[in-house]
Amino acid sequence: MAKAEQSGGQRSVVTTMLLLPTTLWFLLLLVLPLIVILVFSVGERGPAGGYQPAFTLDQYANLPARLKAFTNTLTLAPLGTILCLLFAYPLAYFLGVRASARAKPLLLALVVVPFWTSFLIRTYAWIFILGGRGIPALLAQFGLDDVRLINTPFAVLVGIVYGYLPLMVFPIYVSLEKLDKRLLEASADLGASPLRSFLQVTLPMSLPGIVTGCLLVFILLMGEYLIPAILGGGKVFFVGNALVDLFLQSRNWPFGSAVAMALVVIMLLAVTAYLYFASRGRRRADVSVI
Amino acid sequence: MSTIDRKTFMKLLWRHRKTGSLSRRDFIGLTGLGTASVVLAANMPGLLASRRVHAAELGDRVVLATWPNYHDPQNFETFAELTGVSSQVNVFGSNEEMLAKLQAGGSGWDVFVPTNYTITTYVELDLIEPLDLSKLPNFVPSAYDPRFTEPGTVNGTVYAVPKNWGTTGYVVNSAKVTDNPTTWKAFWDLTMGPASGRTMVHDYQLTTIGNALKYFGYSFNSVDPKELADAEELLLKAKPHLFAINSDYQPSMRSGDAWMSMCWTGDGSQLHRDMPEMVYVLGREGGEIWSDFYAIPKGAEHPEAAYALIDYLLDPEVNAREVMAHGYPSADSRTNDLLPKEMLNDPIMYPAAELLDPLEFGAASTLTDPLRAEILARFKAA
Amino acid sequence: MRVYAAVIYVFLYGPIALIVLFSFNAGRHASDFSCCSASWYGRAFGNPFMMEALVNSLIIALCTAVLATLMGTMAALALQRVRGVLRLLFDALTYTAIIIPGIVIGIATLVALVTVFDAVNPLLAVAWPPSLGAAPRLRLGTGTVIAAHTLFTMALVIVIVRTRIQDMDRSLIEASSDLYAPPMRTFFQITLPQIFPAVMSGFLLSFTFSFDDFVIAFFVAGADTTLPIYVFSSIRRGVTPEINAIASVVLAVSLTLLFVAQALQSRRRRYQSP
Repeated sequence: MAKAEQSGGQRSVVTTMLLLPTTLWFLLLLVLPLIVILVFSVGERGPAGGYQPAFTLDQYANLPARLKAFTNTLTLAPLGTILCLLFAYPLAYFLGVRASARAKPLLLALVVVPFWTSFLIRTYAWIFILGGRGIPALLAQFGLDDVRLINTPFAVLVGIVYGYLPLMVFPIYVSLEKLDKRLLEASADLGASPLRSFLQVTLPMSLPGIVTGCLLVFILLMGEYLIPAILGGGKVFFVGNALVDLFLQSRNWPFGSAVAMALVVIMLLAVTAYLYFASRGRRRADVSVI
Repeated sequence: MSTIDRKTFMKLLWRHRKTGSLSRRDFIGLTGLGTASVVLAANMPGLLASRRVHAAELGDRVVLATWPNYHDPQNFETFAELTGVSSQVNVFGSNEEMLAKLQAGGSGWDVFVPTNYTITTYVELDLIEPLDLSKLPNFVPSAYDPRFTEPGTVNGTVYAVPKNWGTTGYVVNSAKVTDNPTTWKAFWDLTMGPASGRTMVHDYQLTTIGNALKYFGYSFNSVDPKELADAEELLLKAKPHLFAINSDYQPSMRSGDAWMSMCWTGDGSQLHRDMPEMVYVLGREGGEIWSDFYAIPKGAEHPEAAYALIDYLLDPEVNAREVMAHGYPSADSRTNDLLPKEMLNDPIMYPAAELLDPLEFGAASTLTDPLRAEILARFKAA
Repeated sequence: MRVYAAVIYVFLYGPIALIVLFSFNAGRHASDFSCCSASWYGRAFGNPFMMEALVNSLIIALCTAVLATLMGTMAALALQRVRGVLRLLFDALTYTAIIIPGIVIGIATLVALVTVFDAVNPLLAVAWPPSLGAAPRLRLGTGTVIAAHTLFTMALVIVIVRTRIQDMDRSLIEASSDLYAPPMRTFFQITLPQIFPAVMSGFLLSFTFSFDDFVIAFFVAGADTTLPIYVFSSIRRGVTPEINAIASVVLAVSLTLLFVAQALQSRRRRYQSP
């Protein structure tokens, strides 16, 4: 008995030691910065910019001045996520269900490789493709004059799909790979059409992958700065761009802090709601498989 | 090598550059300009040659914060050959951006290029180093037009030495926009009309708001809330018609994506040099005249290299090559003596007096005015 | 299906091909392409700023990956034994660290660190014993980038490793302790091999994220440059093919690593299977 207690005490010391560095990191680099941002968001802009202590809710009251940035983000981020899903799913399906065992590792690796080329440069390459001398010039050959692609929401969406497609393919592939192919066979044997088999067997089985992939892409898109900055020409504006402007140009730290807080709150709400519905949906999906 | 030799050389260079369709790179290779500049520099009395000996004290790097298309890249390579100091060139889109970076601390710059109206603010915020003129022998104040040197001196202390001056107008691709606009009113009306989707404005409160104010005939520097409200309304109305909001407009103008853009003198010169259909216009209502300076930020990590780079760039020979590359007018008479006549009579660089007269220098208050900053941010986020 | 996959691969690799192609451009600008010169590769490797940025990025990515993997794995292991409020709190922090956008992390860390440094530096200057020489000045730089990157990647590692622990075969561990194996031995012989794939993928993810991150570094790097920051400022300055050359080299190195890893793995698999 005494021995067990001793080892229990020892265990909790070990546990504490193991958790210590992580806790320290969370406190210093997550909790503290969020508190500072919160404090700044109720302050005032200094006479030459920066921060000046105060207690006011003016910054929050001023949030509607960035309404467009928020609505832009809240439409383009989900839209981009869905587009990524639509483009990624067939590929993930091909890799997980159809591809031959020999080709699979190579094909998979080829999805990951773009991730090791600078995201910035990959995005930048689209300036040439979408710019006046790229696709529009090509279309002009076929009589489609004056097509404008660069600096439009379309260009930003192309950049999003291009940049985040691999991130979506992977989780879906992983969940499809676990799919027991005999289930599909059984479904076909029972006379289900391929579409029905897909809807009732494959899709529900891949749902966890879809949920993870969408979550990953959505989180990254909500804070996106680079793609709109490079392919949006300063015209397609995300909250991220508004934040960079407020901190690195108009030097309005308090208002920037308020915008950042608003984004954090929206993220927490959106992701929590998403996970809630996703888990409910999954439970229902599980039932339908049985 | 005598002065006349150099002058003829420069003239030759200019003629070739104007007539030939060679790219700069081919041209440098063909004429041996790279070698020539080293030879020229090596023949110059004193300083640069002796620098080499002190190279060890300079370190091996210097970081410069400047504006787009603002230097002859060859000059930095020559500077590296002469001193062993490599230059890292960082480019910014607005004075606000430079200020924000310095205010946040740890910019890492050794030399930066502030515009006339910002210097007093940098001094007030203690972000700029007073200059030790003994380390800048190439800066001879009497050689400069005082209009363009004075803003560098605050309360009797010299904080910045002049780089060049210029104007802010707009560039029009006359092959695409055939209306021959001459005013800011025309600029905005064309933007919201025939040039819709093809116009660019700067990502810079001073010029973008200033030139919107000019539409109504207000002062370029206005901080009056009512006048600014008018300007904001115009900007918001024009926004759907813009191609982009960006201070680096040359690539888009060259590719034909944009037909019209707010434009600084030198970009006008460079575009016109390569594509004669590019026309530089100064709005008849006025607008901005400005001068840019070299300065050293507080706490620069490589101050000796910073002085060496500034002094090198102020050397009339080097500066003449800079001017030929960037196409902005210099306020240094020694530099101008080396430039070909055509350049000194160039209407883009030296606009007619009746166009220059209504222009205003930027006012310090515009830099720190919270409303102007917010209006630009709102315009971009709209 | 096959055709669709092919189209997607073309979509993924078209722009990359363009990048590699432009790296052999003999002209200075992307707009005047003339084939072919490898001179930009020489210039890229001779450019001290770009090389410094590359080295910084490698150091940052490596430190981040090591720190995040170590701390994240330690925490994931310890969390098995933590229940109640503490567990809830820890989970909430992990969750928050993952979902807060990078740009907010960057800005918040910048603002917080600048504030803290401004307060601490004068104190340090006073309190520092003169016998140790001049007081160090805390400043933004490589270290702060590592710290900020580690926050996000560490949370990622915690989640990945924990999922693996949950799927792990417990009977072995129980058997091991029933046989009175010391806990350390149980850990190294039973637990670690089982969670190793998760630890490894956490390491790789952390490295990749840190190496390619722009937005956090943009705010907290101070005077130091990372490769993405260098690339970003070059894009604004008008890219020369130097950047393309570096990107192509990075791509080539990662492709090589990937194929080596693939080859090793398939060899091991062949070796193990009989």
